[in-house]
Amino acid sequence: MAADRTRRAVLAAGAACLPMLAVSGCKGVGALAAPPRPAPDVAILRAAIAAEEVMIARYDAVVRGSDGLAAALRPLRAEHRAHLAQLRSRLIVPAAAASRSAAAAAASRSTTAAGGRSAGVSPSPSAAPGLDGAAGRGSGDAVSGDTRSGAAGAVPAGRAEAISFLQDAERAAAATLLRKLPAVSPSLAQLMASVAASEATHVAALATAAGTG
Amino acid sequence: MARTSQRPAAANEVSALQAALAAEHAAVYGYGVVGAYLSGAALATATSDWVAHEVARDSLEAMLRSAGQAPVAASVAYRLPHRVHSSAGAMSLAVTLEDRVATAYLGVVAVTSPKIREFGARELLATATRAASWRGRTVAFPGFPAGAPAAARG
Repeated sequence: MAADRTRRAVLAAGAACLPMLAVSGCKGVGALAAPPRPAPDVAILRAAIAAEEVMIARYDAVVRGSDGLAAALRPLRAEHRAHLAQLRSRLIVPAAAASRSAAAAAASRSTTAAGGRSAGVSPSPSAAPGLDGAAGRGSGDAVSGDTRSGAAGAVPAGRAEAISFLQDAERAAAATLLRKLPAVSPSLAQLMASVAASEATHVAALATAAGTG
Repeated sequence: MARTSQRPAAANEVSALQAALAAEHAAVYGYGVVGAYLSGAALATATSDWVAHEVARDSLEAMLRSAGQAPVAASVAYRLPHRVHSSAGAMSLAVTLEDRVATAYLGVVAVTSPKIREFGARELLATATRAASWRGRTVAFPGFPAGAPAAARG
């Protein structure tokens, strides 16, 4: 029957359109003119991830440089690794796009020592790989990601100096997270505020670490 | 805490602030018990923490009033999470009080008003610092009851 055929054809056309609906609303090319606005969360999340990576690199460097501090610093470093894992779990990007942006980020930094995994931490006397059980640091931009504070930078030699180096880093990291809170979604704001609070508690814990051992 | 602007508060803001206020009321009550079992430096710390909770409570009440809301009142008494017989028990109660306050402030952080969110974050930081001092160690995710955020949230 002709009428039935037509209806079926319409249904089929409708079904064909369905998968498109979510993407373009079936409006054709014009719909592409207004891409979904990029969530501020993504850029802020990337920065927070880079900052945690730098922080972990700093702890790695201090732990390598001072046997006496290692035991006290490991629990704090473990918390940073937990922060990093949580932050990364919020970042959902296609792998290709992720590596492309990482490459671009690395390329944009002319001075970066991107060759080595922990190269940015540099002037550590020991050349040990130092990635014992690290939560799979992804790419070369990890360590050099924090341009604001001169990356992992040189770790000061003395024990007290190393502690205050980490304390400054913790304070700065917490302040940076808090400053960005207004721009992010409620869920990410909670995670960032919690990470900032954890980092703030590390300042006192580091003072304790300096006093013992 | 500076006054928040006079404006109608969103329902979720009000409920988050009220929940934080209720937690602060409980903490103010609980620190009275904590302090009773401590002496010396620990008592001094408990006293200053107690004052901090009173200040936070007053800030929350002021914020709610300026939003045209009646602040939730304190209960006459609170059921403590566990009996306290010793200084160790008192310190463990202090940790529990701070953890509950932290969770309430995490709710405040989730509101969209930047000022209120910032207030929640500052108080979360303060309560986490107090909790770490009583606990004797730090935690990775202050305020998250399970110790970590739920896995795959948006």
